[in-house]
Amino acid sequence: MAGPANHTELSAELSSRPGHNTWTSTVVRWLLITVSLVFLGALLAAPLAAVFSVALEKGWEAYFGAFADPDTRAAIRLTLITAAVVVPLNTLFGITAAWCIAKFEFKGKSFLITLIDLPLAVSPVVSGLIYVLLFGLNGWFGAWLQDHDISIVYALPGIILATMFVTFPYVARELIPLMQQLGNDEEEAAITLGAGGWLTFFRVTLPRIRWGLVYGVILCNARAMGEFGAVSVVSGNIRGLTTTMPLHIEILYNEYNFVGAFAVASMLSLLAVVTLIIKTLVERSGYRRR
Amino acid sequence: MSIALDQVTKRYQEQPVVNDVSIEIGEGEFFVLLGPSGSGKSTLLRAIAGLTGIDHGRISLHGRDVTHVRARDRGVGLVFQNYALFRHMTVADNIEFALRVRRMRAADRRARRKELLKLVALEGMDERLPGQLSGGQQQRVAVARALAHKPQVLLLDEPFGALDAKIREELRRTIRSVQRELGIATVLVTHDQEEAFALADTIGVMNHGRLLEVGNPNDLYTQPATRFVATFLGAANLLLARQSADGIRFGATPVNAEGPERVPAGREHEVVAVLRPEEVEIAGAREHLSSNYIAKGAVEEIVFTGALERLRVRLLDEPSAAMLLGPGGANDARLEVTRTQPERRDLPLQTGAQVALGARRLHVLPTPLSSFLACAPTEAAAAALANEPLLAQLSTNMKTRVVLRSIAQGPEVTGSPLPFTGVAAISAGPDAAKTVEWLLRNGANEVLVLPRNAPSPTRVFIHWTHEAARRATLAVSASLLRHVSAEAIYLGIVPEGPPGAGHAAPMRALLDARSEAQSSHGLEMRTELAIGETVSELTRTLSSGAAQMLVLGITDIEHAGTAYRSLLAAQPGWPVLLVYRSGEPQLRAEAAA
Repeated sequence: MAGPANHTELSAELSSRPGHNTWTSTVVRWLLITVSLVFLGALLAAPLAAVFSVALEKGWEAYFGAFADPDTRAAIRLTLITAAVVVPLNTLFGITAAWCIAKFEFKGKSFLITLIDLPLAVSPVVSGLIYVLLFGLNGWFGAWLQDHDISIVYALPGIILATMFVTFPYVARELIPLMQQLGNDEEEAAITLGAGGWLTFFRVTLPRIRWGLVYGVILCNARAMGEFGAVSVVSGNIRGLTTTMPLHIEILYNEYNFVGAFAVASMLSLLAVVTLIIKTLVERSGYRRR
Repeated sequence: MSIALDQVTKRYQEQPVVNDVSIEIGEGEFFVLLGPSGSGKSTLLRAIAGLTGIDHGRISLHGRDVTHVRARDRGVGLVFQNYALFRHMTVADNIEFALRVRRMRAADRRARRKELLKLVALEGMDERLPGQLSGGQQQRVAVARALAHKPQVLLLDEPFGALDAKIREELRRTIRSVQRELGIATVLVTHDQEEAFALADTIGVMNHGRLLEVGNPNDLYTQPATRFVATFLGAANLLLARQSADGIRFGATPVNAEGPERVPAGREHEVVAVLRPEEVEIAGAREHLSSNYIAKGAVEEIVFTGALERLRVRLLDEPSAAMLLGPGGANDARLEVTRTQPERRDLPLQTGAQVALGARRLHVLPTPLSSFLACAPTEAAAAALANEPLLAQLSTNMKTRVVLRSIAQGPEVTGSPLPFTGVAAISAGPDAAKTVEWLLRNGANEVLVLPRNAPSPTRVFIHWTHEAARRATLAVSASLLRHVSAEAIYLGIVPEGPPGAGHAAPMRALLDARSEAQSSHGLEMRTELAIGETVSELTRTLSSGAAQMLVLGITDIEHAGTAYRSLLAAQPGWPVLLVYRSGEPQLRAEAAA
């Protein structure tokens, strides 16, 4: 190759190439990054820091003291129970729905997809009100439920139903595009090799979608623990009985118990941060696997 | 028989994607299903594997009817185009999958795996993940995996599609040797004719969901029966030649080739001849040709492709050029020629050189439909007729042309300078029957009577008034039905009256017609029986539904003008394709046979 003879010629040659003059583009790039970082800092990081600083305002003792309160403990327990019921159920539902949508052609398929998206489109308060309307004392099934001494609204079943409704799309939404993209070939290969439905699912399908599934479950869990609006409507805010963590935070705050409120809030935030860290780890290992 | 398919049909949204396919594949046979994309070949393969259900027909493997057996219990080995290896499992786990499902002991599994890896030349790759292998190696693993459970048949769905040429050839050889060694009946689906030639004992060519022809590669290449197979399997020049009692002529020059049917003295048929590019001889002058001279030509394009030289030659004599079926009609008529290096050295050519062309070997297709001739009183009316949707569809699908002709209908033409060739098309109407009679008297053999804006038919009824027209009518129908996707129904008509001798003949004709259509023309058709007078029964049947068409075989010109008047004048009407064969020579030929 007959290259440029000396350094000057070389740099002249380089600067004549398209895309060489990157100085302005570098400035623009850093400017944009800075703007978005400042924006994120002001809107996200600062409030998060504020939560922790207010929670720790009166020292660690007061901070941990807040958790000794039996109502706070009840709220934490309720939140965990709700998540423990809702997340597995929605996972199961999500896998089933995604499987149906990705693998079969049937009438009403697009309707089902729209239906899955519905909870994302409806305001959480409305979601809660639906259940009050259905199962509340003056609701459609209210009288019947009262006759049989079953309480749904203002009790654990109502909270679980409302949370399920709200967190219903997360797993399915995560899996549908993934399954559609992966196609059916490996499953079909397994079937021609003699595998049945369950074996094909556990040995072939599940390993392929596991990272997408974990991601969906994490998002579903985060929302299940943090849901406020829908739960607030159906729970009736009975302190120590039907308050989940987000509801309890509001009660404490309204009572000017700032340390207590922010301590519980910090726990919820911590949960979100941990979730995000797990999510990042999952994404990384998911990419590495591919 | 290892694999037997009997009238398999699969529809997607009412549209048949696999249409009445029957195949028999013997023990240890390597069968290649060849067709363009969308021809239904992959669907058929998936139906054999059980991954796609079928709407009609039967599938049996080694004599066992598996039509309603689940895919997992059919015991077939299937190899996919994109390998479909389990990506999270090692090569060993992939191959052992089928054995694990069958709960085979670990030691036996291991032994089988080693055996298979040796077979596909991948020893020592056991612990690799598919992602760590090249495409060719992955496909070898897929073949080994498909063979692990000793399947009765091996199915391969475009297995080399994603590989480059060198690897492809190497893998092709591996698959062929594995197949020979195991003696396993194999079906491979491909769109690549070179691949089909390299692998197949038998090739089946599919198009539009129909299996057009089945045969060994050599027969299919040298003696195709249909235009599609002739042009899809290798390159081919299609020529329109004329057959008379004396033999076959291309333009003005007689050529040495065999015609599909006998032609009575005094009449002429147009036939389609296949001239392979390598069968064209090029010489500097006509005297130097060692084969039949066909035309003079000018070299337009020369492409060097290594072993062969490809040329495109424009025919210079007008009448010959008009006989060449090019994609763009007569103006785009170019002959494709290939020459080997020795031929090229003997006569080096430059573009623009004038040469004499000879045909070493011409194969005449046994297809009766060659080209169309739109006939109308004026040129403009003929052009309008040529634009009729059905005629346009037919000529496009058949890759043939429509010639316009204005006919000034006299009482009789003496020594017509322009013969009626191919299928004459006219518009339906009160005078149509008269025109038909006139055309038949003046040499036309097939007349298509088209009502205005007739849709593409979904049902084609077939009927002939005399047994002498049977063979020709069936051949024309088979030819037509390869180019429209419609159901074929033979309509037998029994005259009214007391049962007796008058009924036996039509009933026998009905049964014979069906078996002959299937055996000689590869045409699957249903049969219906009507009782009454021929023309009124035909009219009644045709008016019973929309988008129907009639193919009518006749042997009698005398009454054509009056007998079919009502049939051809009905409103809104239906397309009718009349097939005329004068009775005698056919009957004599059959009596001799």
